[in-house]
Amino acid sequence: MNRTILTGPAISRRGVLGAGLSMLALGADPRGAAAATTVHIECDAGQNELPFRWQASALEATYGIAPDLVSLPFVGQYEKLVTDLTSRSDAYDVLVFPPYFLGDFQALGFLRELDPYFSIIDPQLADYLPVYRDPVIKRDGKTYALMYDGDLLQVCYRTDLFEDPKEKVAFRQKYGQDLAVPTTWVDFMKVAEFFNRPPNLYGTAFYAQRGFCYAWFVNIFAGLGGHWFDAKMNPGIKSDAGYKALSLLVEMKKYAPPNILQIDYPTLNQVFLDGSTAIVVQWDDLPLKCENPAMSKVVGKSGFAPCPQRSYMPYSRVMAVSAFSKNPEEAYKVAVHMQLPDVGITYVYDPECGEDPYRESYLKASAVKNHLGQPTMSAAAAANYVDAIRNGLKAGYPELSIPGAPRYIDILDLYVNQALAGSLSPKAALDACAGEWASITAAEGQDRITKAYADWVDSFHKVGLTY
Amino acid sequence: MHAVVRRKPAPALSGARRRFAWWLMAPTLAMFAANAVFPLLYALDVSVRNYQLLIPIPAQFVGLANYARVLSDPLFWSSVEVTLWFIAAVVFLQLPAALGLALLFNGLPRWAGIAVTVLLVPTIIAPSVVGFQWAQIYNYQFGPLNYLLGLAGLGHPVWTASPSLALPSLLAIDFWEWTPFLVLLLFAGLSALPPDVLEAARVDGSNWSQVFWRIMLPLLRPVIGIALLLRVLMSFKTFDIIYILTAGGPGAATENLAYYTYIQGFRYFNLGYASALAIIQLVVVAVLAKALIGLTRRPGLASVS
Repeated sequence: MNRTILTGPAISRRGVLGAGLSMLALGADPRGAAAATTVHIECDAGQNELPFRWQASALEATYGIAPDLVSLPFVGQYEKLVTDLTSRSDAYDVLVFPPYFLGDFQALGFLRELDPYFSIIDPQLADYLPVYRDPVIKRDGKTYALMYDGDLLQVCYRTDLFEDPKEKVAFRQKYGQDLAVPTTWVDFMKVAEFFNRPPNLYGTAFYAQRGFCYAWFVNIFAGLGGHWFDAKMNPGIKSDAGYKALSLLVEMKKYAPPNILQIDYPTLNQVFLDGSTAIVVQWDDLPLKCENPAMSKVVGKSGFAPCPQRSYMPYSRVMAVSAFSKNPEEAYKVAVHMQLPDVGITYVYDPECGEDPYRESYLKASAVKNHLGQPTMSAAAAANYVDAIRNGLKAGYPELSIPGAPRYIDILDLYVNQALAGSLSPKAALDACAGEWASITAAEGQDRITKAYADWVDSFHKVGLTY
Repeated sequence: MHAVVRRKPAPALSGARRRFAWWLMAPTLAMFAANAVFPLLYALDVSVRNYQLLIPIPAQFVGLANYARVLSDPLFWSSVEVTLWFIAAVVFLQLPAALGLALLFNGLPRWAGIAVTVLLVPTIIAPSVVGFQWAQIYNYQFGPLNYLLGLAGLGHPVWTASPSLALPSLLAIDFWEWTPFLVLLLFAGLSALPPDVLEAARVDGSNWSQVFWRIMLPLLRPVIGIALLLRVLMSFKTFDIIYILTAGGPGAATENLAYYTYIQGFRYFNLGYASALAIIQLVVVAVLAKALIGLTRRPGLASVS
């Protein structure tokens, strides 16, 4: 765990002494109004804490708050938070975590309800995209979190290959159809197979390492009409849609680099950015990196589109105020500041961090700029990117966020990984996973979880989204 | 020749001296009770309850249900298999290699000190650093190992992500990291062998093989026992390199008992089940330790005839 107090310019010892003597002479309390209140912000270490660093001076100048970043490793963040919060630790004021922790954290009383603080600063929730509003940040009608990062899986493909007349002719000859950005998983497999020309070009790649390989399975599973559970909490993965989705993902390995089981988030970015892969599904911050010459060999050669049929929304990040915070009001101010329309816009399109849009007002091509206000893409690429996000969210498939979600998801990830590794057949893997899911449901309490799941699904219906 | 050393029994303490001895030991015993006995009893208690930290329902007594679940859990058995591979590597690869190196260094007294010191470097590096270092070495695309193999035309194996190579890759790291520790112990044991016994054997016309098998090895048995005991216990607890390099994957191919217990306890917070896993491991380790301690207690010179 690293800690970084984010402060303004350093003050000399003479300066501190002088200021102290002046205050004593004036009878002022040195801990008075001029002293900044420290707010401890927990966030996964790396690119996702950058927006807090960029906003440190604004927080100090506007609210007199000195943000103290407590960086936790991305892997193990959940375990660390649960361990600390179970022991009622006040080490964190603001918690940044993925919404799939929210079900557990709210049920265990780790979070403060935020509605009473809305009178201090209005979080302007009406501007949130519907999918991120009630379903993600609210439970039982109460607000427990504010958005920080709206994640979505998206297709990135090589426009130079897809628009090459020779490739188009060859594709038509082989498959009897036009070469186009796939809108079904069957077509996706054809494209991946067609462009698979190792070792210089691979058809596709995906996150196959343990940790998030489940997301690439769920992305296909959702597109084939699958659901997490039915109304009685019977696992939806033990179905034809589940078996077919996992079989497709296993088959996709044939068109991927040989180290596919080692591919994680940065490696997946890398195999597309270095030009060695024709089409990938990745989180929606990849397009920003594609158009950054410092990071990419495919600048101006990338196109973006929603995933076939449905786009899964794995991870994302929200900000919440710890129930054990000694400065809840200041913590709220930090959280609300970071997601205000004119603040969030400064980081959701910055290629250096991993945050993505979550407000309606962010979905304008002209808004695609970095935190310094400089455009990060050409106007055409920005329009394509924003359209892909908007259309992807229209058919967005939500990440499970009910009590027990981290366990359901981790078990699914284990069995998907077993199928990808060839240790189990897709059917055997999903059947075994469904058995484990049933045990989790029984342990959590069948009735309690059934109700929580029904409420969660209902929250999507209420905002007009298909689940 | 039989040379059995019998120790003279210590004189019995008087009542007052005995009480004083207990007072002297009391702080240590209290610390032991607080740090070892209480956690053990607590773990035993938790292991018979359905205690799940993340479920806001009071834990109930479930008897041996957690233990029964362990025995029918396929992931438990696959983790046992992985653990056994680590132990087998210690017994059948690390120990013979370490003994060979220790014998080699024992024959080179001038260079032995420097050689053993250099060899110890992998053991004294922090295990997490070892993990990250090998993650770089095994890197599919940029790792030096695959670069060299590529130059030799031997392809680019996917070391830690291949179901067939991941476990051997970890065993290789374990070998690299811990064999020097065994070399150190065995080299110390060899250095402490009574030179007169070895000299007498040579004067009697024994060849190297006879000296090794009939004198050195029996005399080294207690040291080998200690070395095996320490390494087998350490193998049970192998965690760092698994956590850093494979996270137990691909699938559960490199998930050993320690890692599986960690997942159940600290990722899923199934404290009842994780405690049952820990108690089972404790029993197995205790039985193994008892057997290996027995090996260390065998008389050394007495068996040499």
